[in-house]
Amino acid sequence: MGCGRVGSTVAGRLDADGHDVTIIDLDTQAFRRLPGSFGGERLRGSGIDDRTLVAAGVREADAFIALTQGDNRNLMASQMAKHLFNVETVVTRVYDPLRAELYGRLGLRTFSPTRISADLAIDALLGRS
Amino acid sequence: MYIIIIGAGNVGYGLALELYSHADYEILLVENDRGRAEMLRDELGELCVHGDGTEVTFLESIGVSRADVVIAVTGDDSHNLIACQVAQHSFGVSRTIARVNNPRNERLFQTLGIESTVSAASAVLAQIEADLPAQSFIPLLRLRASGLEVVDLHVQPRSRAADVALRDLDLPDDAVISLVVSGDQSRVPDGDTVLQAGDEIIAVIGQESEPAMRELVRSPDEPQREIDEVLQ
Repeated sequence: MGCGRVGSTVAGRLDADGHDVTIIDLDTQAFRRLPGSFGGERLRGSGIDDRTLVAAGVREADAFIALTQGDNRNLMASQMAKHLFNVETVVTRVYDPLRAELYGRLGLRTFSPTRISADLAIDALLGRS
Repeated sequence: MYIIIIGAGNVGYGLALELYSHADYEILLVENDRGRAEMLRDELGELCVHGDGTEVTFLESIGVSRADVVIAVTGDDSHNLIACQVAQHSFGVSRTIARVNNPRNERLFQTLGIESTVSAASAVLAQIEADLPAQSFIPLLRLRASGLEVVDLHVQPRSRAADVALRDLDLPDDAVISLVVSGDQSRVPDGDTVLQAGDEIIAVIGQESEPAMRELVRSPDEPQREIDEVLQ
Protein backbone atom coordinates (compact mmCIF):
# COMPACT_ATOMS: atom_id res chain seq x y z
CA MET A 1 0.00 0.00 0.00
CA GLY A 2 1.53 3.26 -1.20
CA CYS A 3 3.53 3.56 -4.41
CA GLY A 4 5.94 6.28 -3.40
CA ARG A 5 9.71 5.96 -3.71
CA VAL A 6 9.95 3.33 -0.99
CA GLY A 7 6.76 1.49 -1.96
CA SER A 8 7.70 1.25 -5.63
CA THR A 9 11.21 0.05 -4.76
CA VAL A 10 9.93 -2.60 -2.35
CA ALA A 11 7.31 -3.77 -4.87
CA GLY A 12 9.89 -3.91 -7.67
CA ARG A 13 12.35 -5.93 -5.63
CA LEU A 14 9.80 -8.41 -4.27
CA ASP A 15 8.43 -8.88 -7.79
CA ALA A 16 11.95 -9.50 -9.13
CA ASP A 17 12.46 -12.07 -6.35
CA GLY A 18 9.46 -14.01 -7.68
CA HIS A 19 6.72 -13.01 -5.23
CA ASP A 20 3.15 -12.24 -6.32
CA VAL A 21 2.85 -8.52 -5.68
CA THR A 22 -0.16 -6.18 -5.82
CA ILE A 23 0.50 -2.49 -5.23
CA ILE A 24 -2.26 -0.05 -4.18
CA ASP A 25 -2.18 3.72 -4.58
CA LEU A 26 -4.81 6.46 -4.72
CA ASP A 27 -3.07 8.02 -7.71
CA THR A 28 -2.38 6.03 -10.90
CA GLN A 29 0.43 8.50 -11.74
CA ALA A 30 2.35 7.01 -8.80
CA PHE A 31 2.66 3.69 -10.66
CA ARG A 32 5.11 5.39 -13.05
CA ARG A 33 7.70 5.03 -10.29
CA LEU A 34 7.62 1.23 -10.66
CA PRO A 35 10.50 -0.32 -12.59
CA GLY A 36 9.69 -1.19 -16.22
CA SER A 37 10.16 -4.85 -15.44
CA PHE A 38 7.42 -4.86 -12.75
CA GLY A 39 5.10 -7.78 -13.49
CA GLY A 40 2.69 -7.46 -10.54
CA GLU A 41 -0.77 -5.92 -10.25
CA ARG A 42 -1.42 -2.18 -9.95
CA LEU A 43 -4.64 -1.24 -8.18
CA ARG A 44 -6.01 2.27 -7.80
CA GLY A 45 -7.82 2.77 -4.49
CA SER A 46 -7.61 3.55 -0.82
CA GLY A 47 -5.96 1.00 1.43
CA ILE A 48 -8.26 1.99 4.29
CA ASP A 49 -11.30 0.90 2.28
CA ASP A 50 -12.00 -2.78 2.93
CA ARG A 51 -13.36 -3.20 -0.59
CA THR A 52 -10.04 -2.09 -2.08
CA LEU A 53 -8.18 -4.52 0.17
CA VAL A 54 -10.48 -7.37 -0.89
CA ALA A 55 -10.03 -6.44 -4.56
CA ALA A 56 -6.28 -6.51 -3.98
CA GLY A 57 -6.60 -10.08 -2.72
CA VAL A 58 -6.00 -9.44 0.98
CA ARG A 59 -7.90 -12.62 1.86
CA GLU A 60 -5.27 -14.75 0.12
CA ALA A 61 -2.28 -12.57 1.05
CA ASP A 62 0.59 -13.89 3.16
CA ALA A 63 1.91 -10.42 3.89
CA PHE A 64 0.79 -6.78 3.86
CA ILE A 65 3.01 -3.71 4.03
CA ALA A 66 1.79 -0.13 4.49
CA LEU A 67 4.13 2.55 3.13
CA THR A 68 2.04 5.68 2.50
CA GLN A 69 3.06 9.09 3.85
CA GLY A 70 0.29 8.99 6.46
CA ASP A 71 1.06 7.26 9.76
CA ASN A 72 -2.60 6.98 10.67
CA ARG A 73 -3.62 5.61 7.29
CA ASN A 74 -0.82 3.04 7.48
CA LEU A 75 -1.85 2.03 10.99
CA MET A 76 -5.54 1.75 10.14
CA ALA A 77 -4.97 -0.28 6.95
CA SER A 78 -2.53 -2.57 8.74
CA GLN A 79 -4.99 -3.24 11.54
CA MET A 80 -7.67 -4.03 8.93
CA ALA A 81 -5.32 -6.50 7.24
CA LYS A 82 -4.38 -8.10 10.55
CA HIS A 83 -7.65 -8.10 12.48
CA LEU A 84 -10.35 -8.23 9.79
CA PHE A 85 -8.53 -10.36 7.22
CA ASN A 86 -6.05 -12.30 9.38
CA VAL A 87 -3.01 -11.60 7.20
CA GLU A 88 -0.13 -13.31 8.96
CA THR A 89 2.66 -10.81 8.40
CA VAL A 90 1.81 -7.12 8.58
CA VAL A 91 4.52 -4.48 8.35
CA THR A 92 3.81 -0.79 8.95
CA ARG A 93 5.89 2.33 8.39
CA VAL A 94 5.21 4.88 11.13
CA TYR A 95 7.21 8.13 11.03
CA ASP A 96 6.32 9.04 14.62
CA PRO A 97 8.64 6.88 16.78
CA LEU A 98 6.24 6.93 19.74
CA ARG A 99 3.30 5.67 17.71
CA ALA A 100 5.61 3.08 16.09
CA GLU A 101 6.52 1.83 19.56
CA LEU A 102 2.91 1.74 20.77
CA TYR A 103 1.61 -0.25 17.81
CA GLY A 104 4.63 -2.55 18.04
CA ARG A 105 3.35 -3.42 21.52
CA LEU A 106 -0.15 -3.89 20.04
CA GLY A 107 1.12 -6.58 17.69
CA LEU A 108 2.03 -4.83 14.43
CA ARG A 109 5.53 -5.09 13.02
CA THR A 110 6.33 -1.36 12.85
CA PHE A 111 9.44 0.58 11.94
CA SER A 112 10.11 4.30 12.23
CA PRO A 113 12.21 5.93 9.48
CA THR A 114 12.60 8.93 11.80
CA ARG A 115 14.30 6.86 14.49
CA ILE A 116 16.40 4.97 11.92
CA SER A 117 17.54 8.21 10.24
CA ALA A 118 18.36 9.80 13.59
CA ASP A 119 20.44 6.77 14.58
CA LEU A 120 22.26 6.81 11.24
CA ALA A 121 22.89 10.56 11.48
CA ILE A 122 24.35 10.26 14.96
CA ASP A 123 26.51 7.29 13.98
CA ALA A 124 27.84 9.17 10.94
CA LEU A 125 28.49 12.24 13.05
CA LEU A 126 30.45 10.30 15.63
CA GLY A 127 32.32 8.31 13.00
CA ARG A 128 30.75 5.00 13.96
CA SER A 129 29.76 2.69 11.16
CA MET B 1 -15.25 15.85 34.13
CA TYR B 2 -12.50 16.57 31.58
CA ILE B 3 -13.59 15.99 27.98
CA ILE B 4 -11.24 16.27 25.01
CA ILE B 5 -12.77 16.70 21.57
CA ILE B 6 -10.49 16.02 18.61
CA GLY B 7 -11.52 17.70 15.38
CA ALA B 8 -13.10 21.16 15.33
CA GLY B 9 -15.17 20.82 12.19
CA ASN B 10 -18.90 21.39 12.37
CA VAL B 11 -19.44 18.31 14.54
CA GLY B 12 -16.62 19.02 17.01
CA TYR B 13 -17.37 22.71 17.22
CA GLY B 14 -21.09 22.16 17.81
CA LEU B 15 -20.34 19.48 20.39
CA ALA B 16 -17.89 21.73 22.25
CA LEU B 17 -20.42 24.57 22.47
CA GLU B 18 -23.09 22.16 23.68
CA LEU B 19 -20.90 20.56 26.35
CA TYR B 20 -19.38 23.89 27.38
CA SER B 21 -22.74 25.09 28.69
CA HIS B 22 -22.60 22.36 31.38
CA ALA B 23 -20.90 23.79 34.42
CA ASP B 24 -19.40 20.41 35.42
CA TYR B 25 -17.52 19.83 32.19
CA GLU B 26 -14.04 21.01 31.38
CA ILE B 27 -13.76 20.98 27.60
CA LEU B 28 -10.76 21.12 25.29
CA LEU B 29 -11.23 21.27 21.53
CA VAL B 30 -8.26 20.14 19.42
CA GLU B 31 -7.84 21.24 15.80
CA ASN B 32 -5.06 20.15 13.48
CA ASP B 33 -5.49 22.96 10.93
CA ARG B 34 -3.66 26.03 12.21
CA GLY B 35 -5.84 28.59 10.44
CA ARG B 36 -9.06 27.02 11.66
CA ALA B 37 -7.65 26.68 15.20
CA GLU B 38 -6.63 30.36 15.31
CA MET B 39 -10.01 31.47 14.05
CA LEU B 40 -11.73 29.43 16.76
CA ARG B 41 -9.35 30.72 19.44
CA ASP B 42 -10.49 34.26 18.62
CA GLU B 43 -14.01 33.13 19.35
CA LEU B 44 -13.58 30.53 22.09
CA GLY B 45 -10.30 31.51 23.74
CA GLU B 46 -8.38 28.75 25.47
CA LEU B 47 -11.15 26.25 24.86
CA CYS B 48 -9.47 25.51 21.51
CA VAL B 49 -5.88 24.44 20.88
CA HIS B 50 -3.92 23.77 17.70
CA GLY B 51 -2.34 20.31 17.49
CA ASP B 52 -2.37 16.77 16.13
CA GLY B 53 -4.71 14.72 18.29
CA THR B 54 -3.02 11.47 17.26
CA GLU B 55 0.47 12.51 18.32
CA VAL B 56 1.66 11.15 21.65
CA THR B 57 3.75 14.18 22.68
CA PHE B 58 0.99 16.63 21.89
CA LEU B 59 -1.61 14.58 23.74
CA GLU B 60 0.70 14.48 26.74
CA SER B 61 0.99 18.28 26.69
CA ILE B 62 -2.79 18.68 26.97
CA GLY B 63 -2.99 16.26 29.88
CA VAL B 64 -4.89 13.50 28.13
CA SER B 65 -4.14 11.03 30.92
CA ARG B 66 -6.50 12.88 33.23
CA ALA B 67 -9.25 13.05 30.58
CA ASP B 68 -12.43 11.17 31.44
CA VAL B 69 -13.54 10.99 27.82
CA VAL B 70 -11.83 11.46 24.46
CA ILE B 71 -14.16 12.09 21.53
CA ALA B 72 -12.64 11.95 18.03
CA VAL B 73 -14.88 13.53 15.40
CA THR B 74 -12.67 14.52 12.48
CA GLY B 75 -13.75 13.79 8.91
CA ASP B 76 -10.99 11.17 8.61
CA ASP B 77 -11.70 7.72 10.04
CA SER B 78 -8.03 6.80 10.32
CA HIS B 79 -7.46 9.90 12.46
CA ASN B 80 -10.41 9.10 14.71
CA LEU B 81 -9.33 5.50 15.16
CA ILE B 82 -5.71 6.27 16.01
CA ALA B 83 -6.62 9.18 18.32
CA CYS B 84 -8.86 6.87 20.37
CA GLN B 85 -6.34 4.02 20.40
CA VAL B 86 -3.46 6.27 21.49
CA ALA B 87 -5.63 7.81 24.24
CA GLN B 88 -6.60 4.33 25.44
CA HIS B 89 -3.33 2.48 25.21
CA SER B 90 -0.74 5.17 25.87
CA PHE B 91 -2.69 7.21 28.42
CA GLY B 92 -5.21 4.81 29.94
CA VAL B 93 -8.30 6.82 28.97
CA SER B 94 -11.15 4.41 29.55
CA ARG B 95 -13.92 6.11 27.55
CA THR B 96 -13.31 6.86 23.89
CA ILE B 97 -15.93 7.77 21.34
CA ALA B 98 -15.19 7.82 17.62
CA ARG B 99 -17.12 9.26 14.74
CA VAL B 100 -17.21 6.76 11.89
CA ASN B 101 -17.56 8.58 8.57
CA ASN B 102 -17.72 5.41 6.51
CA PRO B 103 -20.26 3.08 8.17
CA ARG B 104 -18.35 0.11 6.75
CA ASN B 105 -15.62 0.89 9.31
CA GLU B 106 -17.86 0.38 12.35
CA ARG B 107 -16.96 -3.29 12.63
CA LEU B 108 -13.22 -2.53 12.57
CA PHE B 109 -13.54 0.11 15.29
CA GLN B 110 -15.50 -2.29 17.49
CA THR B 111 -13.07 -5.13 16.85
CA LEU B 112 -10.26 -2.83 17.95
CA GLY B 113 -11.98 -1.96 21.21
CA ILE B 114 -13.25 1.58 20.61
CA GLU B 115 -16.02 1.72 23.18
CA SER B 116 -18.56 3.80 21.26
CA THR B 117 -18.88 4.70 17.63
CA VAL B 118 -21.20 7.25 16.10
CA SER B 119 -22.08 7.03 12.44
CA ALA B 120 -24.34 9.63 10.88
CA ALA B 121 -25.02 7.39 7.88
CA SER B 122 -26.08 4.46 10.07
CA ALA B 123 -28.26 6.69 12.23
CA VAL B 124 -30.05 8.08 9.20
CA LEU B 125 -30.51 4.58 7.78
CA ALA B 126 -31.95 3.30 11.06
CA GLN B 127 -34.33 6.24 11.04
CA ILE B 128 -35.42 5.46 7.48
CA GLU B 129 -35.90 1.81 8.40
CA ALA B 130 -38.00 2.76 11.42
CA ASP B 131 -40.18 5.01 9.30
CA LEU B 132 -40.94 2.49 6.60
CA PRO B 133 -44.53 1.34 7.14
CA ALA B 134 -43.98 -2.31 6.25
CA GLN B 135 -40.79 -2.57 8.27
CA SER B 136 -40.87 -5.62 10.51
CA PHE B 137 -37.60 -5.18 12.38
CA ILE B 138 -36.35 -2.06 14.16
CA PRO B 139 -33.12 -2.06 16.19
CA LEU B 140 -33.73 0.01 19.34
CA LEU B 141 -30.55 -0.23 21.35
CA ARG B 142 -27.14 -1.85 20.97
CA LEU B 143 -25.40 -3.07 24.11
CA ARG B 144 -21.87 -3.17 22.79
CA ALA B 145 -20.12 -4.77 25.75
CA SER B 146 -22.36 -7.86 25.75
CA GLY B 147 -22.97 -8.05 22.00
CA LEU B 148 -26.70 -7.92 22.64
CA GLU B 149 -29.32 -5.65 21.16
CA VAL B 150 -32.87 -4.70 21.97
CA VAL B 151 -35.13 -4.88 18.93
CA ASP B 152 -38.71 -4.13 18.05
CA LEU B 153 -40.31 -6.72 15.77
CA HIS B 154 -43.66 -6.61 14.01
CA VAL B 155 -45.17 -10.00 13.34
CA GLN B 156 -46.24 -10.00 9.69
CA PRO B 157 -49.18 -11.97 8.33
CA ARG B 158 -48.23 -15.51 7.25
CA SER B 159 -44.75 -15.13 8.77
CA ARG B 160 -43.20 -18.11 10.54
CA ALA B 161 -43.89 -16.51 13.93
CA ALA B 162 -47.61 -15.90 13.32
CA ASP B 163 -50.15 -18.22 14.98
CA VAL B 164 -47.46 -20.29 16.69
CA ALA B 165 -47.03 -20.83 20.44
CA LEU B 166 -43.69 -19.44 21.62
CA ARG B 167 -42.47 -22.83 22.81
CA ASP B 168 -42.89 -24.20 19.26
CA LEU B 169 -41.13 -21.25 17.67
CA ASP B 170 -37.61 -21.89 16.43
CA LEU B 171 -35.95 -19.01 18.30
CA PRO B 172 -32.17 -18.54 18.23
CA ASP B 173 -30.60 -19.62 21.56
CA ASP B 174 -29.54 -16.11 22.49
CA ALA B 175 -32.96 -14.52 21.84
CA VAL B 176 -35.37 -13.67 24.64
CA ILE B 177 -38.81 -12.24 23.91
CA SER B 178 -39.42 -9.79 26.75
CA LEU B 179 -42.72 -8.24 25.85
CA VAL B 180 -45.61 -8.86 23.45
CA VAL B 181 -47.84 -5.92 22.57
CA SER B 182 -51.23 -6.62 20.95
CA GLY B 183 -53.16 -3.43 20.26
CA ASP B 184 -53.06 -1.50 23.52
CA GLN B 185 -52.46 -4.63 25.65
CA SER B 186 -48.96 -5.64 26.60
CA ARG B 187 -47.91 -8.80 28.41
CA VAL B 188 -44.83 -10.74 29.40
CA PRO B 189 -45.12 -13.91 27.36
CA ASP B 190 -44.63 -17.54 28.38
CA GLY B 191 -44.33 -20.71 26.35
CA ASP B 192 -48.10 -20.85 25.79
CA THR B 193 -48.31 -17.36 24.32
CA VAL B 194 -49.42 -17.51 20.69
CA LEU B 195 -48.18 -14.65 18.53
CA GLN B 196 -50.68 -13.06 16.15
CA ALA B 197 -50.03 -11.14 12.96
CA GLY B 198 -49.88 -7.47 13.91
CA ASP B 199 -48.33 -8.15 17.35
CA GLU B 200 -45.33 -6.13 18.29
CA ILE B 201 -42.49 -7.86 20.14
CA ILE B 202 -39.69 -6.35 22.17
CA ALA B 203 -36.82 -8.83 22.28
CA VAL B 204 -33.25 -8.98 23.53
CA ILE B 205 -31.11 -10.84 21.01
CA GLY B 206 -27.46 -11.52 20.19
CA GLN B 207 -26.33 -9.33 17.30
CA GLU B 208 -25.49 -12.45 15.29
CA SER B 209 -29.12 -13.56 15.50
CA GLU B 210 -30.44 -10.51 13.70
CA PRO B 211 -30.92 -12.26 10.31
CA ALA B 212 -32.67 -15.25 11.95
CA MET B 213 -35.06 -12.96 13.85
CA ARG B 214 -35.84 -10.91 10.74
CA GLU B 215 -36.64 -14.15 8.97
CA LEU B 216 -39.07 -15.27 11.69
CA VAL B 217 -41.36 -12.25 11.48
CA ARG B 218 -40.98 -11.50 7.78
CA SER B 219 -44.00 -11.81 5.55
CA PRO B 220 -43.30 -14.18 2.65
CA ASP B 221 -44.16 -11.24 0.33
CA GLU B 222 -41.64 -8.83 1.85
CA PRO B 223 -38.30 -8.87 0.06
CA GLN B 224 -35.31 -9.67 2.25
CA ARG B 225 -32.97 -6.77 2.70
CA GLU B 226 -30.15 -5.83 4.97
CA ILE B 227 -28.68 -2.49 5.95
CA ASP B 228 -25.38 -3.70 4.51
CA GLU B 229 -26.97 -4.18 1.10
CA VAL B 230 -28.42 -0.68 1.16
CA LEU B 231 -24.96 0.69 1.86
CA GLN B 232 -23.24 -1.13 -1.01
